[in-house]
Amino acid sequence: MKITYNWLKEYIDVDLTPQALADKLTNVGFEVEELIPLLQPFSGVVVGKVESVSKHPDANKLSLCTVNDGAETFQVICGAANVAEGQIVPFAKVGARLPGDFKIKKAKIRGVESFGMICSKEELGLEKKSEGIWPFEQAEPLGTDVFEMLNRNPDYIYDFFITPNRPDCLNLIGIAREVSAITGKPLKMPEVTIQEDTSAEIADFIKVHIHDTEGCQRYAARVIRNVTIAPSPEWMQQRLEAVGIRPINNIVDITNYVLMETGQPLHAFDLKEIRGKEIHVRASRPGEKFTTLDDKERSLPENTVMICDAERAVAIGGIMGGQNSEVSPATTDILLESAYFKPTRIAFAGKKLGLSSEASQRFERGADPNNVLNALNRAASLMAELAGGHLVHGIDDVYPKEIKPARVPFDPEKINRLLGTSFSRQEIKEKLTRLQLNVANDYVEAPTFRVDLKINVDLAEEVARLVNLTNLPTNETTEINYEIPQPEIEQRINFVRQKMLEMNLQEAFSASMLKQSEAALFQNGELISILNPISDDLTTMRPSLLPGLLRAVNHNINRNMTDVRLFEIGRIFTNYRENNLPDQPYSLAMIQTGNRQPEDWGNVSVPVDFYDIKGYLENFVSKIALDNFAFILYDKSSYFMSTETVALLVKDTVIGFCGRVEPEVCAAFGIEQAVYAFELNLDALSGLINYQRHYQPISRFPYSERDMALVLDDEIPAADILNEIRKHGGKLLKHLAVFDVFKGDSIPEGKKSIAIRLRFQSLDRTLSDKEVDKVFRNIIKRMENTFNASLRN
Amino acid sequence: MLQKIDEIREQFQSELKAVSNNEELEALRIRFLGRKGSIASAFSLMQEVPAEQRPKFGQTLNVLKKEAEAQYEALKSKLLKPKQNKNQLDLTLPGRKMATGGKHPLLAVADEIKAVFTSLGFTIEDGPEIETDFYNFEALNIPKSHPARDMQDTLYITEDIVLRTHTSPVQIRVMERQKPPIRMIAPGRVYRRDTPDASHSPFFHQVEGLVVGEGVSFADLKGVIQAFAHRMFGKDIKVRFRPSFFPFTEPSAEYDFSCVFCRGKGCNVCKGTGWMEISGSGMVHPKVFEAAGVDSEKYTGYAFGMGIDRIAMLKYGINDIRLFFENDLRFLSQF
Repeated sequence: MKITYNWLKEYIDVDLTPQALADKLTNVGFEVEELIPLLQPFSGVVVGKVESVSKHPDANKLSLCTVNDGAETFQVICGAANVAEGQIVPFAKVGARLPGDFKIKKAKIRGVESFGMICSKEELGLEKKSEGIWPFEQAEPLGTDVFEMLNRNPDYIYDFFITPNRPDCLNLIGIAREVSAITGKPLKMPEVTIQEDTSAEIADFIKVHIHDTEGCQRYAARVIRNVTIAPSPEWMQQRLEAVGIRPINNIVDITNYVLMETGQPLHAFDLKEIRGKEIHVRASRPGEKFTTLDDKERSLPENTVMICDAERAVAIGGIMGGQNSEVSPATTDILLESAYFKPTRIAFAGKKLGLSSEASQRFERGADPNNVLNALNRAASLMAELAGGHLVHGIDDVYPKEIKPARVPFDPEKINRLLGTSFSRQEIKEKLTRLQLNVANDYVEAPTFRVDLKINVDLAEEVARLVNLTNLPTNETTEINYEIPQPEIEQRINFVRQKMLEMNLQEAFSASMLKQSEAALFQNGELISILNPISDDLTTMRPSLLPGLLRAVNHNINRNMTDVRLFEIGRIFTNYRENNLPDQPYSLAMIQTGNRQPEDWGNVSVPVDFYDIKGYLENFVSKIALDNFAFILYDKSSYFMSTETVALLVKDTVIGFCGRVEPEVCAAFGIEQAVYAFELNLDALSGLINYQRHYQPISRFPYSERDMALVLDDEIPAADILNEIRKHGGKLLKHLAVFDVFKGDSIPEGKKSIAIRLRFQSLDRTLSDKEVDKVFRNIIKRMENTFNASLRN
Repeated sequence: MLQKIDEIREQFQSELKAVSNNEELEALRIRFLGRKGSIASAFSLMQEVPAEQRPKFGQTLNVLKKEAEAQYEALKSKLLKPKQNKNQLDLTLPGRKMATGGKHPLLAVADEIKAVFTSLGFTIEDGPEIETDFYNFEALNIPKSHPARDMQDTLYITEDIVLRTHTSPVQIRVMERQKPPIRMIAPGRVYRRDTPDASHSPFFHQVEGLVVGEGVSFADLKGVIQAFAHRMFGKDIKVRFRPSFFPFTEPSAEYDFSCVFCRGKGCNVCKGTGWMEISGSGMVHPKVFEAAGVDSEKYTGYAFGMGIDRIAMLKYGINDIRLFFENDLRFLSQF
C-alpha cells in the first residue's frame, strides 16, 4: 500500500525525516518496501513564455516557436498541437537533463534549427501519458527553475507491505495512528462539516433493506443531489496518482480518496438508475449473472452478497459496482453507499470470481463497522464542496446488531514470561494505551478496527513491537534435555548418502515435478498429478528418480560432457488413494554413462557397461552390510532393458533394480548413448541396514591360492558356479574371484571357459598343501558332477 | 699456517668457477679432494703446526674440506642432469585424472545448517512432501479463507491434499507424537505455484525449527537465531528482528542478518542497506498447540524458518536458483 509523506502530515505532525519515519514504521511491523521522491529529478528546465508560433516551413504537424526565458529568446520546434502564443511553459534549454536520463541537445528538424524543447508533464515524469505540452495555469516569473519550483515542498512515496492481520493500516489514518503510538503526538482527524438540505428527506429517495444480515452487517446510505461531474481538483488527482489510483472524475475520486484516507470502501451509484427507490441486500441466486462496471459479465458464485434495487442487482457487495448504475458524465444525483460486509463472505466470493479490488482487499481482511458513518459523511461533505452537491437530510443507516469492541484477556505476567522480559504492569499498560486500547484490570478493550487482537499473546506482540524486538532480551544459554532421540530416518538417509559419497560419486538434486509423458515412462503404480499445474512441463510428481537423472545426463551430453556419473536421494510419489496421502518413499538412484574414466593421455577410454553399474551396487550393498540379499534376473521392467537388468532381492522382497536403461526411454530424453542405472527403495531398506560393525579377526598366517579354469555350458550362470564353490569350500575358503571369462577359438561351440582364483586361509595355523589340495579337489569334483565341467589344461 | 688454508680455498674457488664439464670436474676433485690432493696434503702439515694452534688448524681445515666437498657435489649433480633426462619422466605432464564426486552444493549447505543445530541440541525430523490440508494449513491456524490458501500459491493434488507449501506441517506431526520438551529442525523440500525464473522455483528448500517446553520465551528464540548466525557466518554478524505476521506464531518476527558480504557496510548484494532478510520466526500460536494437542497453558514454544536455497545462494554468490537443479557438471564440480 502506498501513501505520501505530505499527505500523512495532514493527520499527524511528523518531525522525522522521510527515511527516519520509514525506519520507525519498519521497526513496529510496517515494512517500507520502497521510499522514493515523488518528483523524479531533472535539471535545466526553466519557466519560459511562448512569444510566437508559426508553421514549420517543411512539416505540417510541427510549429516553429520562439520562447523567452526572461533573458534571451530561443527558436524552438514544437510538435504539440496545443502550443499557443502567450503560454507560460516549462522550457528545457540545451543541456537540460530530463527524467530517464534524456539530454536536450541542439537539433535540426527538417532543416530548421531548434534550441531546446517545450515540455509536457510526461516528459517531466509527472504523469504516465500526456496530450500535448503543459501550459502553467499561474504566471510564474520567467527563468525560474521548474524543478525547484515544483519541489518547494518535496514529497515522498512510501510503499508498505501491510501484513494481512492489519487491515486497519491499509489507509493513511491507520498509519498515522501507528506514528502517533511511536512518537506520542496526537492524531488530527479531518474536519467534516455537513450542511444538509432540510427540504429533502432521505426516506423520500431511498429505503435500505438488508435480507442477508449474515453477509452485510451494516449498510448506510446518503443521497447527494445536483452534483456536477468534472475532473477532481489537481491536488486530489496528484495524491491519488501518487498512491497508484487512476483519477476518473470528482465523484469516483472522492470515494477513492476517502477510502485511502479512512480505509472504508464506498460506492457511488447514479441515483436515477436505482429503481423503485429501494436497496435490497441479499445473497446471490443460483445461476445468477451480473455485469460489473469493467463491462464483464460474470457468473456469480453462490452466497455472494448482492446489492439490488427494486428490480435488479446493481453491485456485487464489497467487491465491484455494476455497469447498470455507475456514475457517468450525465449523472446529477448520487446514492452513496458505506457498508460493512463479513470478511469470509467477501474473501470467498472474490476468490471464486477471480476479482480483487481496493474495496474487497479491505473488506476481506476486515474493515471497521463503526467507521461507516465517518467515512460516509466525509465523502458527502467533499462532494458538496468539490462537486457542488446538495446533501439530502438524513442517513438511512441499517445496523441490526451493533458490533462492539472485543474484550481481550490481559495477563501482564504471561506477557513477560512469553517475551522473557520484566516490565511492570504500568509500563505494559502505557504501551497499550498509546495504541488507543482501553486497559482494564484483566482485559483490554480493542477498538473494532483492530481485528487482530483476540487473545493475550496478541497483546504481547503489541508490547514487543512498541519496545522494538531487537531491544528485547536475548538468552545466550539454555538447558538442553539430553534424552530427545534422533529419528531413524535421518540416520538412514545420511548413512546411505555417506556411502555413495565414499564411492567418489557426484550428488545430484533434481526437480520432483515432471511432464506427464516423461513420468508415464516410469509408471510403477498410479501416477500423482497436480490439479492446478504451473505448466504442461510440471504436471506430474516423479514416480522415480531416474527421469530427473536422465534429464541431467541429457543436459550434460548436450554440453559435450559425455561421461556422467551421478546419484540422488529423494522422495518419489505413487499410488494415489482417495483422501489419503500417496506413497512417498525415499529412493536412491545412480546413473552412469560414457567412459569409465575421463579421456586423458594416461587413460584408455573404455565405455561403461552393465558390470560397472552392478559393481557400484555391489560395493554399496557391501558398505551398508546388507544380509541375505541376492541378485535375480529381471525382465519385466518397462524402463530397464530386459536382457541387461537384475533385481536386488532382500529376504524375498525386491528392493530395487539395476541395469541398462531401455534405449527408447533414453531416446525420449534425447540421449543416444548407453545409460546404466540402479534405483533402490530406501524405505524398504529400513531395518535391513547394519549400522553396527563388528571386527572380523584378520589371520596372521599365510594363505594358499589355487586357480581353476573350467570349461562348461555357456548357459550356466556364474552366480551358480560361485555359490556351488562357496558351498563346498568350507571355513577355509576365504575369498574367490573370477579372473577370466573366455569363449571361442579353442573352446567348443556353446561352451565357455571361466577361470576362478580361490584363496584358502586359517585363523589359527599355516595350512599344509595337502589340506588345501583336498578341499580344492573336492570342489573340482563337484564342478564336474554338478555342471558337467571339465578342467582346461 | 692458517694462511695456507685460505690460499687453498681461494685457489679451489677460482678453479671451480672454470669447470665446464665432467672431466674437468673430476680433475679438480683429484687436485683438491683426492688422496694426494692439496687438502689431504695440508692435513700432513699438521705436525709442523705449533701444538697450541693445532686444534684451530685442524678445525679450519675440516671446514674447508666440507665446503669443498659440498660445492663439488652440487656442481656434479648440475652437470649430470641433462644426461639423465633420457630416462626421466616428464613431471610436468598432468596427473592421471580419476572421475571425482562430491556433495551437491545445496545439500552441503543443508548439512552445515544441520550441524549447527545438532550441536545446539536439536533433533532432525522429517515429514511428507505431499500433505493433507489439515497439517499444511488448518492445524497451523490458516483457515479456509486465508489469502495464503490462494490457488495462485498452492499446488493441489486434490481439494484436501496439497504439495506442502512450507516445512511447518512437520511441527504438528512431531508435537502430535512426542510430548515436550521438543527441540527440532526439519529440513526439506517445499512447493509453491511460482513460474520458474532466476529467483523463483516451483520447489525450494526450507529448514523449520521448533522448540517447545516450559518457560520457553522470545528471548530464547533470539538467542538461538543469534547463535546460528554467528556459527554459520561469523561472530561479527548482527541479527535484527522486525515485527511481522504469520498465522501460526504470535508474536511473529522477520529476522535479518547484517550482510555477509560487506559485513553491514552496504553493498550491491544487500542493496546498500547492510542487511539481508533471512526468514520468519515467532512464538507458537496457542491455536497451533491446541490443534497438535499440546497444553498451551503449560507450555510455550518458538518456531522459525529459513530458506536453504537462499542461504546457499548467498554463501556461494549464485544469482540463479535454477542452477541448483540442472545438475550441470561444470557447476557441480565447483564445490
